[in-house]
Amino acid sequence: MQALAILTVESAERLLKALEEYLDHSEASYALIIDRGGAILSQLGEIPPSVDVTTLSALAAGSFAATRELALRVGEAEFSALHQQGKNSQILICSIQDEAMLLTVFGPKTTLGLVRFYSARAVKQITTVLERARGESRIPIDLGHEVTSGLQDVFHEPTPRS
Amino acid sequence: MSIINYVNKEIQFKIVYYGPALCGKTTNLTYIHSQVAEAHKGELVSLATAADRTLFFDFLPLNAVVVKGFKTKFQLYTVPGQVIYNATRQLVLRSVDGIVFVADSQWDKMEENIESFKNLEENLVRQSTSLDQIPYVLQYNKRDLSNPAPVHYLDFILNNRNVRVPSFVGIATTGQGVFATLNAISRLLLQKFARENEIASAKQQASQPAYAPASTALSGIAAAAARR
Repeated sequence: MQALAILTVESAERLLKALEEYLDHSEASYALIIDRGGAILSQLGEIPPSVDVTTLSALAAGSFAATRELALRVGEAEFSALHQQGKNSQILICSIQDEAMLLTVFGPKTTLGLVRFYSARAVKQITTVLERARGESRIPIDLGHEVTSGLQDVFHEPTPRS
Repeated sequence: MSIINYVNKEIQFKIVYYGPALCGKTTNLTYIHSQVAEAHKGELVSLATAADRTLFFDFLPLNAVVVKGFKTKFQLYTVPGQVIYNATRQLVLRSVDGIVFVADSQWDKMEENIESFKNLEENLVRQSTSLDQIPYVLQYNKRDLSNPAPVHYLDFILNNRNVRVPSFVGIATTGQGVFATLNAISRLLLQKFARENEIASAKQQASQPAYAPASTALSGIAAAAARR
C-alpha cells in the first residue's frame, strides 16, 4: 500500500472525529495516529505539557517496528498490538494496516479491556479515512526561491567553532 | 516520504545519518543539538548501549524555516553502525526522505566505508527505493586524525555514481562541516519538494477547464482551517 503523504483539512477533521469518539468511549487520556516512519498524522486528548509527542511518536514507531520484526521471526506476519504497562500509565499501540499506528495512553480511569475493545472500532474508522485520504491530490505550496535556491540557509549555526 | 499537513500547516521530512561504526553519526547530532536554539529543537534521544554505542537510533527533531505560512520540520535519525544491527538499520530507514552518509576518513576505515555504503544501497532496495530517488550527501569526517585519506580518493570510492552528490569534509567533534552538511541535505529535500509541487501544480492546471474561476482548493482549505 502507498504511504500517506498529504493530509488535507477534510481528512484531518475526519481523523480528529474518529479520535474524539474513541477517547469519549474508551476514557483513555490521549491518542495519536502515527505513520510507520514516526510522523504524527493526528493527535487528541489531554496531553501533559511535559510530553514531547514528536519524540513519543518516533520511539513508538521504532518500538512497533522492532516488535513486527520479532513477530516475523516467530512465524507471525505481525503482532497487531503492543501493550506496555507502568505504575500509573499504560500504552497500547495498534496497527492500522501497513502504514500507520494508533498510540493510546491511558491511566487508572479505564481498563485495558475497554481500551482494546474501542481501539478495534477506531482502527476500522481510521483505516477508512486514510484509504480515502490516499486518493486526495496534492495542493501546490510555493516554498519560495530564497530557500530552495540556497540563498538562505535552512539552519543557522549561532556560534561556529573554529 | 515527506508529509504535508494542511491543518497544522507543516511539512515533515525525515533525514537519516548512515555510515560505518564509530564514524561520527551521533557526534553530528550531538553538535547540532548543542548549537540550535531551544525554540527550534526537541530533545535529543539516544537509544544506546551501556558503552555509549548506538543500539537502535538517535533522534533529534528540528523546526526550520517557515515559508509561505508552512513550518518545515526535520526529524534527524542515526542508525547503529555495527554490522550486527542491520535489521535495525532497515527499520530506521523506513519512510526516509534524505540521507547523510558519514564516512570515516582514516585510511584503515576505507573497507568499512565501502561496506556500509553497499549496505545502504541494499537496504534501500529492500524498501523498493534507491539512491537515485532519495537525495543524499556525503560527509568525510574525522579529518583531524592523523593520516586521513585525500578527499579526491574518498570521492573516487564513495562519490562515483552517475550523478555526483555534494560532499563535505568534517570534524564533527568541533562542529566543522556539520551545519554545511545539514543545510545541504535540507536544501536538497526542499528543492525536491518544490519540484514535486511544480508537477502537481502543472497537473492541476491541466485538469482545470479554461473558464474555471481563479479560486483554488487552498482558499477552501484556509476557510475550513479558520473555522476550527
